[in-house]
Amino acid sequence: MTVDQMSPVADRPSGRAAASAAGRAPATGRRRLSMTARRHRAFYLFTSPWIIGFLLLTIAPMAYALWLSFTTFDGISPNWKYVGLGNYRELFNDPVTWDALGRAGLFAVTSVPLSIAAGLALAVLVNRPIKARGVFRTLLYLPAVVPPVGAGLAFKLLFDPNSGATNGVMTFFGFEAIGWLADPYVRYVLLMTVLWSAGNVMIISLAGLQDVPRELHEAARIDGASAWRTFRSITVPLLSPVLLFQTVTGMIASVQTIMPMLLAPLQDTSGITTIPQSNYLYMMHVFAQYFALGRYGYASALLWVLFVLILIATGLIFKFTSGVVFYNVDPEAKK
Amino acid sequence: MRPQAGASVSRRRFLSLSAGGAAAGAAALSGCAMQVSSGVSGSGETVTVMVNSGDILPEQVQQAKKELGIKIALVKYDITKLIAMLTSGNPPDLVRGVGAVDLPYFAARDVAQDLDPYFARSDVLKLDDLDPVNDLWRFDGRTQGKGPRYGMAKDFSQDSMFWYNTSAFDKGGVDYPSELEPITYEEWLENAKRLVQRKSGQTTVFGGSFNGLTRSTLLTTMTASAGGSLFSDDFSRVDFTTPEARKALTWYIDYCKTKVGPSQIQPDPNGWDGPTYQAGRLGMSNSGYWLGGMIYPEKKLAEVSRLAPAPVFAGGERISACQGGTGLWMPRGAKNKDAAWRVFEWFFGEAPAKARASGGWGIPSLKSLRPLMPAQEEYQKRVLKVQENELKHFSVVSFTPYTRADAIDALFNQIAPAAMKGQISVDTLAGSLNSAINEQLKRGKEQVG
Repeated sequence: MTVDQMSPVADRPSGRAAASAAGRAPATGRRRLSMTARRHRAFYLFTSPWIIGFLLLTIAPMAYALWLSFTTFDGISPNWKYVGLGNYRELFNDPVTWDALGRAGLFAVTSVPLSIAAGLALAVLVNRPIKARGVFRTLLYLPAVVPPVGAGLAFKLLFDPNSGATNGVMTFFGFEAIGWLADPYVRYVLLMTVLWSAGNVMIISLAGLQDVPRELHEAARIDGASAWRTFRSITVPLLSPVLLFQTVTGMIASVQTIMPMLLAPLQDTSGITTIPQSNYLYMMHVFAQYFALGRYGYASALLWVLFVLILIATGLIFKFTSGVVFYNVDPEAKK
Repeated sequence: MRPQAGASVSRRRFLSLSAGGAAAGAAALSGCAMQVSSGVSGSGETVTVMVNSGDILPEQVQQAKKELGIKIALVKYDITKLIAMLTSGNPPDLVRGVGAVDLPYFAARDVAQDLDPYFARSDVLKLDDLDPVNDLWRFDGRTQGKGPRYGMAKDFSQDSMFWYNTSAFDKGGVDYPSELEPITYEEWLENAKRLVQRKSGQTTVFGGSFNGLTRSTLLTTMTASAGGSLFSDDFSRVDFTTPEARKALTWYIDYCKTKVGPSQIQPDPNGWDGPTYQAGRLGMSNSGYWLGGMIYPEKKLAEVSRLAPAPVFAGGERISACQGGTGLWMPRGAKNKDAAWRVFEWFFGEAPAKARASGGWGIPSLKSLRPLMPAQEEYQKRVLKVQENELKHFSVVSFTPYTRADAIDALFNQIAPAAMKGQISVDTLAGSLNSAINEQLKRGKEQVG
């Protein structure tokens, strides 16, 4: 008996044959859909809520923003005009935009590796057979579930230069107090907020670690490989798809972070530009242009440029990691 | 080729159907948005009011339903949401606004309703009972303070005045400022320097805070106090290089440089003076009468707190403007104007107005409600005397209609820190402010037409 003969669907016609059979079905009675047609219909029915949502809530606003980016629209005034690529030309000549973009890029290349390294280190630690492992996992993950607004408030109180605990400890030991929430130190506070939520990275890395076959580690140990060599040559390659995922999503999230806004005592929309310069990242600039200056057109151009840059950066990450990311898939299975 | 029954849906067809569905969905959503201020709901009318939480309390909503038979639907104030509602033609019936800076902007864009006909026939809000502060809600198409009324202040303060803590003055061995005669800005700064307390690089007590309600209103009123005007006659330009504007700018940058109080380069994590003053960590707070609402409930704090007149520049005019005048205005596209006006009258002239007047959070905007201002305690009587004297020096300082104050503040915040840190001179700062703000005003003028 062949495999096909064993299959419960072996006696059914192929999709194409079924479709043509359905087409020939007599007009009397209820026409039956072929299996393939039903599958297609089910697929589209189940995905349509997402696709409609995607069109309504993503594509339509993006198209609207693209149109806005060619205008001087401020949301309310009657005499806005079409300026073609004027906003894009201004953007490329605006030093504030470039500075903000540069800082956002620097923040991404600093914070993403840092949070991945911290999360991976924590994952390796809590993947070991230690006592109360579950408690440690929970405790380390806990900060990640604190809402960013709460975390921002906690950091503001902790690093308040005049009444915060950090300076309290420093002055207790005879050090001078530091203006943590002003330039240049506020950038370090921002990085600390990234590490605060390393539990997110930890939990994904931990799932990846638990997928690494134990026998590979045992074989390496029998061959005399050190712990570091095992980690570098077995764990990291097998974890590389997870690390790539975290790099890409981390990069996208980091250039869009609003954490600097939560660390600043903002009273109104104009307060966005009171954010110390080292934390005045690209999204702060976009927010200022939209809501403080009412430049909807220019701000939309800023967002479109960011979107294109993110696409390029993602493409580059995929290109440069294609040789080092190990997908644990049998190439024959694809055929 | 026509699709056949039973055949699978092609991708192209599916996407086109989805796009059609999306368009229909968008129309449906738009339709939902149009229901926001439909006006009629159930047995009574519904008036949509966009305010901050606390402006109208839930019990007042109930009270309005009982007394007026009108249901108030509250919408949280959000400038982005307001603009979206105005643009889509479905504005709230009444909207919160800061008279000093918001009114010219909205009136110039023709989205605010002229309320003169309503005032003319009102038995509750009589024109001769309106405090002059309500002139902030007038705009003649060019100048604030003249022309039709578009709104009204719920209460107000003269925001260049300041409160001080006598304990801090006693501790610093500094003479109390006079309560009836203004000190100069220079004297204010000198006092702040003597009051500030520092330890191991930490500021334990700020000498004083002087930031105005917003940077733009602060500099506009200070320039007026120095005898000039920040704006050109047609409000289409600013000039920080005139002697009066430069004087105001120099003083503010000096204040920031000396770090005697909160500023952009030394922010107060509380974001405003209230909690810092309450904690005894602020010698002087540039806040008007309204801060009394926070001070009075704490008797110990109230007994050591004094209100002082707005400072003046040596040889300058005594001007004590209102930088806020927060109240309500009615969008021109409001769907339910008559009912909205009834709520307007009730909010500004009936129970809620009386409750506000006796709370100490501001001077009532109707002269007839002034006897309700708190004056039971000795410290309240003292403050009231200072405030009554200060009212003689009230004046409207007009603001430009070509941009929102937020925009000017945002540009100032972006450019000024370099001067506050001593990296650029005040003259360089004045030039940079002129070019950035005038560019914004030029864009605004083009859009207003």
